[in-house]
Amino acid sequence: MDESMNFDAIVVGSGITGGWAAKELTEAGLKVLLLERGRKIEHQVDYETEVKAPWDMPFRGEGDADLYAREYAVQRLNRHFTEFTQGHFVNDAQNPYQTGADTAFTWFRSYQLGGRSLTWGRQCYRWSDYDFGANKRDGHGTDWPIRYADIAPWYDKVEEFIGVSGAAEGLPQLPDGKFQPPFALNVVEQAVRERIMAQWPERRLTIGRTANLTAEKDGRGLCQSRSICARGCSYGAYFSTQSSTLPAAQATGNLTLITDAAVEHVDYDPKTRKVTGVRWIDSKTKTRHQATARLIFLNAGAFNSVHLLLNSASEAMPGGLANSSGVLGTHIMDHANTLSAAAIMPGFEAWTSFGNRPTGAVIPRYRNMETMDGVGHTRGFSFQGGALQSTWTAGKREAGIGADYKNSLRKPGPWRMVLVGFADCVPRATNRLTLDRTKVDPNGIPQLHIDFAFGAEENAALAQAKADAAEMLTKAGGHVMFGFDRPGPGGTAIHEMGGARMGNDPATSVLNKWSQSHDVANLFVTDGAQMSSSACQNPSLTYMALTARAAAHAVSLLKSSAL
Amino acid sequence: MTGWSRRSFLGAAALVALQAAVPGGAAVLGKLDPKDAPSPRRRKFMRMVADHVIPATDTPGAGAVGTGDFVLVALAHGLEGTRRPPAANPALAPFVRADGSLDHAAWLEAKLGPKWLTLPPVRRHDALAALDAAAFKGDASAAPWRAIKGLILTGYYTSEVGGSKELNYELVPGRFDPKVPVTAETRAYSSDWTAVDFG
Repeated sequence: MDESMNFDAIVVGSGITGGWAAKELTEAGLKVLLLERGRKIEHQVDYETEVKAPWDMPFRGEGDADLYAREYAVQRLNRHFTEFTQGHFVNDAQNPYQTGADTAFTWFRSYQLGGRSLTWGRQCYRWSDYDFGANKRDGHGTDWPIRYADIAPWYDKVEEFIGVSGAAEGLPQLPDGKFQPPFALNVVEQAVRERIMAQWPERRLTIGRTANLTAEKDGRGLCQSRSICARGCSYGAYFSTQSSTLPAAQATGNLTLITDAAVEHVDYDPKTRKVTGVRWIDSKTKTRHQATARLIFLNAGAFNSVHLLLNSASEAMPGGLANSSGVLGTHIMDHANTLSAAAIMPGFEAWTSFGNRPTGAVIPRYRNMETMDGVGHTRGFSFQGGALQSTWTAGKREAGIGADYKNSLRKPGPWRMVLVGFADCVPRATNRLTLDRTKVDPNGIPQLHIDFAFGAEENAALAQAKADAAEMLTKAGGHVMFGFDRPGPGGTAIHEMGGARMGNDPATSVLNKWSQSHDVANLFVTDGAQMSSSACQNPSLTYMALTARAAAHAVSLLKSSAL
Repeated sequence: MTGWSRRSFLGAAALVALQAAVPGGAAVLGKLDPKDAPSPRRRKFMRMVADHVIPATDTPGAGAVGTGDFVLVALAHGLEGTRRPPAANPALAPFVRADGSLDHAAWLEAKLGPKWLTLPPVRRHDALAALDAAAFKGDASAAPWRAIKGLILTGYYTSEVGGSKELNYELVPGRFDPKVPVTAETRAYSSDWTAVDFG
């Protein structure tokens, strides 16, 4: 093998956590190979639709519906998927996966340099000990081997590097971070915040904490309130691999980046009980390549990292790499997610807003904290949403033609407020990933098979969320139009996680408290696969913090010759 | 890493605008399979229908900005859910294609009748207004109109005239103001993507 293909570390995947792993490991002086299965997208150069108006687009931003039905049947359901952004999502027809007979799972994917860091929702929330202690408290899943104190300094580090705007609220269930100045609540949200707090002091509507810059940082520009982030942002105003971690890693001179490299196998040496390298297929040429390293980080995205471990089975590890416990692939989760309430908000007709704020508002969890007041569930739910005005698209739902009708669509429409519930998802062994033994992808690799269903806990939580949301918006002066109490398909929240969970016991978990394989000391999995529970807030900030923490640990092991 | 300023951004946007000839009408038909190419009569028909929904006022109407052709292209590509088979209804059956979808344009032509194009403007308007009212009252035989109307709105408000003259368009707001007084001059922003998607 080419000598140049020998590295200190290999990082598989260049998304939110892969970028962090590459940055931390290269900054520690390691020679790192970063492998990305998708195409190269260069910051500022390749954001092809960023400056286009709807009238510049072949289908005015709506896209070719027939094409989407044929080739983007899942991705088209993503709220960020449009004609402007379709190049930042996978072609489902070319990237198939299988689901069980009783499973509906919409797996939203972005295979490209930067992965889903280009298309993510940018919401950044710390988890608390209500979350890290959840499994121990109610007996679902296995106890986390860490608590908030273990990760808090790493949250600090990540927030300070990526830039997170938000308002400190002093809530124990949603610890404050190192925030840039917050975006403002609009006139309706501010009133609703005050009216809810007057009735329920423990319920706090606050502005979303988002990785959009409200202060310039490290050569990155301010958020321009366009809210078209998923097209790519040449200001570098939201956190992505391209805007933040990749340039930092490249600045060290220690990074080798290869795109169009679909890793198919992690090699394991049973004599040393260590992984030795990876093999991949060049997506363009279909040629096979390999590289070796002393350390391997898997950051392919929760399901794809598990997929790779399962596909890396060997004679020594027939059930999959790092799977002596037999739990690899099990206990996958996604937040149970639905529109809990939508209401008309009268009384604010004299006001509108200007600009497109890149975040909504949130109401953090308030159930099942000191008092177990959940009805039929033991964990939490939270709300994301906000107040907005309708515009011309509301005209599609209204009778009328002619000049008066046209004029009626000229002004901003009535204020509405929506609250979308996100419920904690209980980890279950039956929700799992396996390899499909009969179907392969275009590279000849067995397809991933997903079995997933929400259960009574999530349904109960969303039922209570619906009732609470309606009650809060009504007390705040709104007229509730509708709401739902059943979750969308798994994957809807785009927070799929688990499958290689952390735990104290090697017999029941895949990773230890350092995101390090119990079985294979030089193998780390630091994306969503490592999660032992789901909490009810967005997980990416926690993935990043755990990645930085794991990288520091791995480097210390390398330097002490423990690896 | 090069920081981008608002000025450099707007410069790039202007370049894109120069490169993209605004598809006033016939240009968008180039996206159609030749077998789906509409007849001149149908193009005139859909242009006139669009113009009755969004007529010229102090800004141009839908017909003048190519909305009729956009609707035909959009129908040929299944936008606004028009590829979904319609609810079973004898009145629609003659216009159902082999794939189960409805030929919306043919249905509308038949629904309004062969003489609609030649009627005086007021009577054309009244006939279309009656169809619109029926569709929004739940008349199943008028239901396909809602998708066509939806596409007319999309075609108009995503055109340069509809999006930036009839409404405001701001590619780079540069700030978020949470509380702005509404005045007689206030117009909605077609670039308020949240409102467009969820409003």
